Amino acid sequence: MSKRTDSNVYTIVFAVVMVLVVGTLLATVFSLTKPTITTNQKIEKQQNILYAMGVNDNDETSANFVSTKVAQEEFSKYIKKQLVIEGDKVTENDKAYLIDVKKEQSKAKEGKTRRLALFIGEKDGKTFYVAPIRGKGLWDAIWGYVSMDKNMIVQGAYFDHKGETPGLGANIKQRFFMDDFIGEHLLDDKGNFAGITVAKGNNDPKNEDKIDNEVDAIAGATITGNGVSAMIKSDLKLYIPYFKTLKK
Amino acid sequence: MGLLSKKDAALITDPLADNNPITIQVLGICSALAITAELKASIVMALSVMAVLAIGNVVISLMRNIIPSKIRIIVQLIVVAALVIIVDLVLKAFAYELSKTLSVFVGLIITNCIIMGRFEAFALANGPWRSFLDGIGNAAGYGLILIIVGFFRELLGSGTLLGFKVLGDPIEKTGLYAMGYENNGFMLLSPMALIVVGIIIWIQRSKNTSLIEEN
Amino acid sequence: MEHIELFFKSIFIDNMVFATFLGMCSYLAVSKKVSTAVGLGAAVIFVLAVTVPLNWLLDQYILKEGALVWLDAKYGVDGAETLDLSFLSFIMFIATIATMVQLVEIIVEKFSPSLYNSLGIFLPLIAVNCAILGGSLFMQSREIPSLGLALTYGVGSGIGWFLAILAIAAIREKIRYSSVPPALRGLGITFIITGLMAIGFMSFGGMLTGGDEKKEEAPKVEAKADKKDLLKKEDAKEIVAENTKINK
Repeated sequence: MSKRTDSNVYTIVFAVVMVLVVGTLLATVFSLTKPTITTNQKIEKQQNILYAMGVNDNDETSANFVSTKVAQEEFSKYIKKQLVIEGDKVTENDKAYLIDVKKEQSKAKEGKTRRLALFIGEKDGKTFYVAPIRGKGLWDAIWGYVSMDKNMIVQGAYFDHKGETPGLGANIKQRFFMDDFIGEHLLDDKGNFAGITVAKGNNDPKNEDKIDNEVDAIAGATITGNGVSAMIKSDLKLYIPYFKTLKK
Repeated sequence: MGLLSKKDAALITDPLADNNPITIQVLGICSALAITAELKASIVMALSVMAVLAIGNVVISLMRNIIPSKIRIIVQLIVVAALVIIVDLVLKAFAYELSKTLSVFVGLIITNCIIMGRFEAFALANGPWRSFLDGIGNAAGYGLILIIVGFFRELLGSGTLLGFKVLGDPIEKTGLYAMGYENNGFMLLSPMALIVVGIIIWIQRSKNTSLIEEN
Repeated sequence: MEHIELFFKSIFIDNMVFATFLGMCSYLAVSKKVSTAVGLGAAVIFVLAVTVPLNWLLDQYILKEGALVWLDAKYGVDGAETLDLSFLSFIMFIATIATMVQLVEIIVEKFSPSLYNSLGIFLPLIAVNCAILGGSLFMQSREIPSLGLALTYGVGSGIGWFLAILAIAAIREKIRYSSVPPALRGLGITFIITGLMAIGFMSFGGMLTGGDEKKEEAPKVEAKADKKDLLKKEDAKEIVAENTKINK
């Protein structure tokens, strides 16, 4: 029996057939599921943005999005404007939420102008400016949405990750971490952009000091925490010119 | 034991203790360390590995007579990878919430050497039904260790179990914390997983002295 | 400069064994003697140095979204630039690694039987070593920008793994003369020593957070937040409470 399967011809034929079968199978499954996956991802983005501006189904302890069924409806209800900022040009674009931050970042690396998305939402008479951010954690990409008022004071934040360690870095998408950002200032007391640092050994674990540009880090998740600080600093900085125009 | 003969039953019970994949066969360590800071993640990982290992074992066992021995490792790897990718895509399309919880584990499952190890050691030489049982048994033994480690790391590290604050609230100082107890943040770091597994091995081998290694 | 930085970073800070716990299985199983550990370690360096750059090419020119643009430019295949094959990356990387390992085995056997005798038995082990696949996946997720850097990264992580297995093998050879509790002998004590070594290696993380943050002047924001805009604890709590409310 093993004689037959040892010959070179058999091995090659087997390999070819195997590649064909597996390749076709994967390609079929991928193309069949792709439309549904894309819709799911679109809805998720809308849910993320809504979450950051406080439109969510949160209960006492856990973070919950508005349900997928109503996400699209709620999105058009709360988000008044979607802006694309390209250099000095600010245009309205109702597909702005589909802008791929990763692609725009690599564009910026090549020296091209990066398109920035900004969502202006209104809720209970208050205006929220929601901006997407993206960076690197310990294992893979991390990203999120931060909503601010016109003074760049954080009104809400949502973070997510691709593959951070469960129980450690993955906790950036837990309420206790995300809620810490609410009320934090992105500017220092002189009005310069300082970002928000996820600080270890913070002597303010209950985060009562909201103007120190710091939130308490997660134990055991230093690198993920640094990633969060870095993406807030580098990505939100780009919106400063826009916020300046709001002041005028 | 009407359904399973004694020999078949041993396929399931052996890996739980005396032939445990982690503590005796030294397989699947990487993932055991990476995800055990939380009990919930340990349970999810244990179940996913059980599904992949049982199905993969059956597939390889069915193919065992036609796989050319020269390229068997590639074939085995491709079977696992294809299986996991398909499951991941289907979940992404039809159970998006669930897939987000599981996506972290996808890479870890493919590279989990417990799967390759069992393919190589068992499925290539046995029929589908026995391979299926072997898969279930080994995944259960693996999951058992994962859950024990996850239990202690979450309890001692963050004072919670499955996210519930069983020891009181560390910030509001209730429960145990009112008496001055503090969480041991060190337990959350991955080196502690190694040490906890080391202690499990210690206890297991003290109970069953036949497992002690010669120096 | 960036080569040197990446090189040392991948050896010490992101050490495969101590920081990310990859390749643990063979690390524990083949570390009883220094001589075998050296053989396996050398083979891992070699395979990583070959597969990481190879998979980089694969990722850059076939798998990435838009990577197939050359097909369109050269052969006029329509729509090639929008193809995204990244769902295939796992399977492609694994296939490359397994093929390379088998190829190396055949070549070494043919041209240098003595090397084959000392290295050969480890080669099949390497195909299932998760450090190898981990190397390629990290290369992809960390977006290593050039082929040269991919090579540096491969060699660096290989040396890091080599160092780890060499150290543990040396310790295990010495420990034979100590009186370890019988039940801990062998595997048990190895686990615990590795844990302690990993704690030691964590201190290398300080190299990363120490000095490499580039001082970048953030653009000044003239508009200063008014004193009354500064949020105090109560206000922040209010916002949290508000955001918690279910919005229907």
